[in-house]
Amino acid sequence: MGAKRARVRRSAWVWIGCASVVLAALPFLFRLDGNAHGDWLQFLGRFHPTLLHLPIGLIVLVPVLEVAGARRPALREAADFVLRASLALALPTFALGYMLAYGAGDTGTTVSRHMWGAVVLCIGLMLCIVMRPLRVSREQTTAYPALLSASLLALIWTGHQGGSITHGSDYLTHYAPGPLHMLSGSKEAGDSFYAQHIHPVLDAKCVSCHGSGSAKADLRLDSYDDMMRGGKDGAVVVAGKPEASLLVARVTLQPGDPHFMPAEGRTPLTSEEISWIRAWIRAGATKSATSVPGVKFAREEAEPPPQPVGDYSSLMPEIQQMQHALGAKLVPMSAKASDGLILRTVDVSSSFGDAQLAQFQKFAPYIVEAELARTAITDASCDTLKTFKNLRALHLEGTAISGSNLGKLSSLSQLRYVNLSGTKVTAQSVEPLKKMSQLRHLYLFNTAAEPEGTAARSTP
Amino acid sequence: MKQHPLCTDCEREVDVNGLPIPVGLKREWSAVETRRQFLGRSGKVLGWAALASLFGDAALRGRAIGADTKSPVTSPGRGNLGLPHFAPKAKRAIYLFMSGGPPQVDLLDYKPNLASQYNKDMPDSVRGNQQLTGMTAGQSRFPIAPSHWAFKQYGQTGTWVSDLLPYTAKMVDDLTIIKSTNTDAINHEPAIMFMNTGNMNPGKPCLGSWLAYGLGSMNDNLPTFIVLQTKTNPKENNQPVSSRLWSSGFLSSEYAGVGLRSGGDPVLYLADPDGIDREVRRRMLDAVEEINRQTQAEVGDPETNARIAQYEMAFRMQASVPELTDLSKEPQSTWDLYGPDAKQPGSFTYNCLLARRMAERGVRFTQIYKRGWDVHGDVVGTLPTLCAETDRASYALVTDLKRRGLLDDTLVVWAGEFGRTVYSQGGLSPENYGRDHHPRCFTTWMVGGGVKPGITYGETDDYSYNVVKDPVHARNFNATILACLGIDHNRLTYDFQGLDQRLTGPQPATVINGLLA
Repeated sequence: MGAKRARVRRSAWVWIGCASVVLAALPFLFRLDGNAHGDWLQFLGRFHPTLLHLPIGLIVLVPVLEVAGARRPALREAADFVLRASLALALPTFALGYMLAYGAGDTGTTVSRHMWGAVVLCIGLMLCIVMRPLRVSREQTTAYPALLSASLLALIWTGHQGGSITHGSDYLTHYAPGPLHMLSGSKEAGDSFYAQHIHPVLDAKCVSCHGSGSAKADLRLDSYDDMMRGGKDGAVVVAGKPEASLLVARVTLQPGDPHFMPAEGRTPLTSEEISWIRAWIRAGATKSATSVPGVKFAREEAEPPPQPVGDYSSLMPEIQQMQHALGAKLVPMSAKASDGLILRTVDVSSSFGDAQLAQFQKFAPYIVEAELARTAITDASCDTLKTFKNLRALHLEGTAISGSNLGKLSSLSQLRYVNLSGTKVTAQSVEPLKKMSQLRHLYLFNTAAEPEGTAARSTP
Repeated sequence: MKQHPLCTDCEREVDVNGLPIPVGLKREWSAVETRRQFLGRSGKVLGWAALASLFGDAALRGRAIGADTKSPVTSPGRGNLGLPHFAPKAKRAIYLFMSGGPPQVDLLDYKPNLASQYNKDMPDSVRGNQQLTGMTAGQSRFPIAPSHWAFKQYGQTGTWVSDLLPYTAKMVDDLTIIKSTNTDAINHEPAIMFMNTGNMNPGKPCLGSWLAYGLGSMNDNLPTFIVLQTKTNPKENNQPVSSRLWSSGFLSSEYAGVGLRSGGDPVLYLADPDGIDREVRRRMLDAVEEINRQTQAEVGDPETNARIAQYEMAFRMQASVPELTDLSKEPQSTWDLYGPDAKQPGSFTYNCLLARRMAERGVRFTQIYKRGWDVHGDVVGTLPTLCAETDRASYALVTDLKRRGLLDDTLVVWAGEFGRTVYSQGGLSPENYGRDHHPRCFTTWMVGGGVKPGITYGETDDYSYNVVKDPVHARNFNATILACLGIDHNRLTYDFQGLDQRLTGPQPATVINGLLA
């Protein structure tokens, strides 16, 4: 009996030895050199992601069965079968994965890590299968648990590498809270044109295939230096010559062209993004330049989201009553009550004065826009308006406002737009408004305060 | 067999032995209910009763939600639509409609490679199997006609603009230029219908009517949706523009565009005739309204409410329209900006100035039609005229809105119903060429509330024939306009003929987020 077991073990060792050599030699026999090899390899290889979850599930099941087997021995007996089944599935999965990488010409550190991880995992599983009977017969009790634990670690690591190939290396950390996020660190720092506009485009559209994870055609675009180094077809960026730069050529082909990038139906670059790359290359493709001639970014002042106001629905009867009495309306900004109300006076503008405005004070927190153009209100209304604490836009064009009280509006922290066109304001009286940093649009057309030239818009 | 006079309907001439029958007697006969009519009607009553029990309450009430007599007459049938769906960037819109199809290759879609291909044949691979119009389908060859005009780069965006548009060139940093607009129709009427109503067949409400229906009025004294037609220039090839384009379709006719005339009185018969003062007019309207309300109570047709609202609107317009069209108080800076054409009622420039005044006064949607862009021949002769008529005016309108602080919440759209071919229609000579209709790509622009300034969106191939990047179908173009005004195009619907009708039609449409600010 003992001799027989020894013989079985010896032949098993031979098998494992051979299999390990084949697995380990594969990468040297069929080098992942960045060239694609045959469509049929890719066709089969693409079943790799479909198949791979099956062995993973089985491998994870093994320790579960082993532990649960302490209570129910029948489960422990099943562990051997599950272990063998997992190897039976892991090997074809490995083969398909290799076909995928070899067929599609994938290279890069993540790809090779993923591959070597899988080699280690397969060898580990084989060793587990051999060592398990020794534990069952209590000849050698520590090796099997150690090997199984090592295999599980290899599984986790390999799986993570694989996930990084598919989803990008920052997939897990992208939405991680601040401190964790530091770990991913693929961002380019700095305010150069490259860091602000070129790198993010490449990062979003190109790096999943041309990055640290996978570097097809031996080209990496995840850092400036790698990009300038180029790929197996040579340099992709020719400074000063966008027409001669492969980077531009490939993204501007007809979408049906086999060389069109990004390949395989991934999101193409927008014309705007291409224009940035072109302009950047034309300007010398430097890493440090902060601006590029011909590219102007339309005011990128991302307007802060509007402050939600409270729910005014309970006041609707009162609002309707007021509208009926005064003719001026409180119109919902949108179907969402928290977007607030617009005070609209156009139907009764000539009779709408300071007294009428004062009556709207009870709805003050809900009013986000006051359309008071060509009404009869005067400077005295600034006292009412300063209570409209959520006011974002204020139309005063064509009113009798002289501006003497505009300083009272300084406390309106949400105010973004004030239109004083055609009023009697002076450069001096609008000075307090110009000091308000959040006020982006101040219109002074046809006033004494209008800046010289045609620019009526002044952005403080 | 000769019918008994009492059995005929009152539409038919009643004749008894050739004798002249007094009109009064005919009326009396037709008012009498015959046994046959009574039985026929009873049958219908039973049918209706059965139908009503099948449909429940809804069949009896019809669709006129909120059509009770107490609701404000300004919005019969509008009910509470819950609009805008989200906080809008633009409150109002001005649509400069370039009827006829402006040639994009000569205006904004710069194709530098064409110059070397003069008179060469269009590659079949580019043209594909596209159907052509009857006007050029018979041509033996399709020679490429490069633009007669030079292009230069303008603004900080470095946008290429034809020498024909010196004023548009000055505002490219504000514009959202769409080179990849495309449509389904290749002939004027279906194409212009499609752009305006989302359907090639007449009968659907247009964009302006949907806005009026969905968003309602901002100024009770002026129509929500006004249409301005530009006087035609007889030297241009003017395609007809009809009121079908500003029809409200199946929506209440109250939401149809109100056309202001391009000459003389802007609205006919608006002024009271001699001897009728405003008080008399008011009393007359009150009486008519009372009768209309009785009719409404009896018949329940929502169109009666629309009629009441329109009478009231006309009454208020008696005061508001003269004020709107009185340009005497415009400052000199207006005339400096718009130029001398602005003093010619009916010119495109004059209409642009009116559109700005309407924007100030809270008109929700103004659409200006400029005809004549149908340049099948003599492009070199007519295009400079067309551009001179519109280029400065468009620039002046945008600049005027901008300096007055109105561009922040006004969306301005410049578009035609399709583009024109790069190949010449008819003979091509070094001096002149013609261009046929081309629906596969055309250039449009937007500016103002909601859209991203200073970008060019979409790209066409080297022949400006096919869209190669970021196509903007007319449906999506309209969906994007609605989005700027706070409307989800999928949710602004109206139940008609068993379908939740919408501007973008039953086919899926998407908002082009790349255009939005």
